[in-house]
Amino acid sequence: MNIREELKERRLFFDGGMGSLLQAKGLKPGELPETWNMLHPEIIEQIHVDYLNAGADVVTTNTFGVNRFKYKKEENYSVEEVVTAAVKLAKSATERAGHGYVALDMGPTGKLLVPYGTLEFEDACEVYKEVVRAGAAAGADLVIIETMGDSYELKAAVLAAKEESDLPVFATVTLDEKGKMLTGGNVESVTALLEGLGVDVIGLNCGLGPVQLLPFVENMRAVASIPVMVNPNAGLPRSEGGKTVYDIDADQFAAAMKKIAECGASVLGGCCGTTPEHIAKMHEVCKDVPVPIVEKKDRTVVSSYSHAVEFGGRPVIIGERINPTGKPRFKQALKDHDMAYILNMGVAQQERGADLLDVNVGLPGIDEPAMMVDAVKELQSVLDLPLQIDTANTQAMERAMRIYNGKPLINSVNGKKESMDAVFPLVKKYGGVVVALCLDEDGIPETADGRMAVAKKIYETAAEYGIDKKDILVDALCMAVSSDKNGALTTLETVRRVRDEFGGKTVLGVSNVSFGLPMREHINSTFFLMALQNGLSAAIINPNSEAMMAVYDSFLVLAAMDENCGRYIGVYAEKEAEKKRAKEQAKLAQPAPGTDVGMHAGGNTAAGRGDDGSPLKRSIIRGMAKAAAEAARAALETSDALDIIDREMIPALDEVGKGFEAGTVFLPQLLMSAEAAKAAFAVMKEKMEADGTAQEKRSKIVLATVKGDIHDIGKNIVKVLLENYSFDVIDLGRDVAPEVIVERAIKEHAPIVGLSALMTTTVPAMEETIKLLRKEAPWVKIMVGGAVLTQDYADAIGADGYCKDAMGAVNFAIECEK
Amino acid sequence: MTLDVDRREVFRYLGYRGHEADEKTKMLVEACISELNLAAEPKVVSKELPLVTGEDGWIDGGCFQTKSMNLSKNLGGCGQVLLMAVTLGMGVDRLLMKYGKLQMSKAVVMQAAAAAMIEAYCNALCKAWAEEYEKKGLYLRPRYSPGYGDFSLSCQSMILDGLEAGKRIGITLTDGGLMVPTKSVTAVIGISEKKEPCHVEGCEACGNLDCAYRRSWQ
Repeated sequence: MNIREELKERRLFFDGGMGSLLQAKGLKPGELPETWNMLHPEIIEQIHVDYLNAGADVVTTNTFGVNRFKYKKEENYSVEEVVTAAVKLAKSATERAGHGYVALDMGPTGKLLVPYGTLEFEDACEVYKEVVRAGAAAGADLVIIETMGDSYELKAAVLAAKEESDLPVFATVTLDEKGKMLTGGNVESVTALLEGLGVDVIGLNCGLGPVQLLPFVENMRAVASIPVMVNPNAGLPRSEGGKTVYDIDADQFAAAMKKIAECGASVLGGCCGTTPEHIAKMHEVCKDVPVPIVEKKDRTVVSSYSHAVEFGGRPVIIGERINPTGKPRFKQALKDHDMAYILNMGVAQQERGADLLDVNVGLPGIDEPAMMVDAVKELQSVLDLPLQIDTANTQAMERAMRIYNGKPLINSVNGKKESMDAVFPLVKKYGGVVVALCLDEDGIPETADGRMAVAKKIYETAAEYGIDKKDILVDALCMAVSSDKNGALTTLETVRRVRDEFGGKTVLGVSNVSFGLPMREHINSTFFLMALQNGLSAAIINPNSEAMMAVYDSFLVLAAMDENCGRYIGVYAEKEAEKKRAKEQAKLAQPAPGTDVGMHAGGNTAAGRGDDGSPLKRSIIRGMAKAAAEAARAALETSDALDIIDREMIPALDEVGKGFEAGTVFLPQLLMSAEAAKAAFAVMKEKMEADGTAQEKRSKIVLATVKGDIHDIGKNIVKVLLENYSFDVIDLGRDVAPEVIVERAIKEHAPIVGLSALMTTTVPAMEETIKLLRKEAPWVKIMVGGAVLTQDYADAIGADGYCKDAMGAVNFAIECEK
Repeated sequence: MTLDVDRREVFRYLGYRGHEADEKTKMLVEACISELNLAAEPKVVSKELPLVTGEDGWIDGGCFQTKSMNLSKNLGGCGQVLLMAVTLGMGVDRLLMKYGKLQMSKAVVMQAAAAAMIEAYCNALCKAWAEEYEKKGLYLRPRYSPGYGDFSLSCQSMILDGLEAGKRIGITLTDGGLMVPTKSVTAVIGISEKKEPCHVEGCEACGNLDCAYRRSWQ
């Protein structure tokens, strides 16, 4: 019998701590515990035997911290060597004890993944694969991925285990006392992720003791459809005379574990501070607790790194705006690889109440898979909403699903064999909920019966791939009511019947219904309400549309889904107040000629700052973005764009810049002015594009924070200001290798490169970059900046210019052009 | 968790050098602090270890060994050290990245406010520890971090490992030796039986008198 089958029949017991036992046997601080697989194999093997004799069914190899960052053949041992030795010792122990499975242990890499750290997702996968390959070859029976605090790294480890072996995968995460993972996930989100990835057992370990973990075990049992395992510490740690000690003894541990067993954990063990005694006592009191029945939960769930979103309760709003269809400005942003534009769209939709964001970046002539990956990475780096990966390009779909930090929504599959053959294997492998369009080789059925038949076929085919009905969202399809008067009714009937006859969940792209009609919002919002009333689970809409959101927010109140009308009041009380304020401000905004309009930035700014000049100049100087954009629009009515830029905007920026240099304007003000100017520039640009004129761009400047450095605030400040002065900035980001900077400088034939480094430890990387630039791109003028740099330092590493602040960079760049 | 952030420190980090800020910036600072309070999850690990000092600034702090004249002066007469690692958590890094991409004016203020916030957290912890130790007749020296003076940054990884700071509070190191989450601090605090009340610490202990961010400019 293998462990998967055995799990169905009885409770399994894991071993307990390893590190603390090794310390007791003389492992020194700073010494790598896994070196003992080679140095003291007898001690390691004996610990395994002790655990097996104490009642453990599974022993965990001494490989928790093994990876290529800590083990290198040249320095100590190769990863393969350590892992192979560890598995052999554990196997030998199971032979001596006469029973037991060997679990290949993998913990965190100790590095944080990009974008917050410097380890790329695929590199993290590769780091784990190395361990899996060696462990599987040496004969491990299963893989245990444990003590994970970051869902993204966890995903990399699970993919590695599944791609490099057929072994069962157990995965456990560490929570803090609030039930959160270190990078922000919770029980629900991590369960969604791990079940999606197809692990065999999920659970919790380390961090807390069994008493503190109990409520989280209950949470997990409530949402998980697979067995749950729990390996707590021996209580909470404290430091005593330089040693870490834990606050409960073996008896208390066992008693607390009994409660966890009764709560339905199928697999039990221990982590830090637990010993064979803890395991023996736990085994004794838990062995007769009946084995829990693991029920499949009918929950349709997607997740982001931080939280899960469930379909079937409050209808889910999927923001539709990240989609270039019919949006010339968005198309331009895609061509320009303008990620900030996409990000802003995401943020705006979240602020308006979107639960999820649709991401569609398909455009003829662009590399869609690469763009989709970039868009998903960008969005998940700052937004916590789950994403809907919306593409017909299977390669884009797969690459995005792979690097997505969570369980995504996929848009879409349909009833065509070709579509199902392409999409379902991806959903099976990476996890996800998939939107299923009710159409197939015969087109879109005209009747609800026809659409139900397609939905049924999709459900059945999905089941053949091992995908549950709960992971399908049926899209009943919404046709333009202007071309088929029954179109909306057919859709609504399908929505209702999928819920009632299949117990399924539904989604609709609502806005198609009004195609070809004037004032589409009227039709859209009314149809949206009808769909909600017919049981729609999720709607793909524009959350920036007040009419749509008004329907939605009101529906929730009337359908008893808004407790105490809290959500409604939260949104609309503020709106009402805002309206009142706007009215009052409008009154105030009609000043007597020659007076200031009450927008003064403060009493002690640079003398006379902003008191003269046009409204546009004034708004820029005072850093008021909205006012600047409005003033720009007004100015365009009487003047030419280039003229306004030269006569008002540039002088305003110069004035602020000079104030900054003189020490009368400070960094936040400088940047607020820059942002106001940017808002005004955007208005100018729009007008110039419409007129077919263009402002001449200044020199190209490649900007980067050097390799090893992740502090990019200085570089970002410089970028904002350079762009204000119309420089064509190519921002390579942070932690950028010298070769990448050089390659780009050559490709763009950029006359200027700006490098930033914050730490003394990363200045050598800056020097290296400069050397390489001198060799490969000798025409380049190099400016450097960053907290630790000085003029002397800059000279010593061979830079052309040292910029003590952002204005310094602007001045240097202007000088270079002369 | 709400930490009492010293507004003067925020403006100092923003380069105000004692100048009064305008209302708009003040409002921005308050907005940033509110947002940070929601995002920050301050966490700490600490451990008391025996201290052995030797010639030429040699220091063995139990889980780290180094040579540093500055630190050894700071630890003179101490028999133990209290090691600490603290972090505001990933939520703060997320906010910093978000505004770094969307609104730089807010990003710089957020950066300054977060720096002041972790200082406030460290100060609160050290104050509480000082009171606790004083009851036992022991006195704490000002905290000293790798990277100050000649105390090598390379000790960072040894201190983090010794405290299991990765596993327990999620502090990781990049290849370049930088901590992530970025708003994290490690420090060594001397424990002494003698009370030495007049310690010069922080900014005032630094030799760079020209620094734009120096405390007590004016």
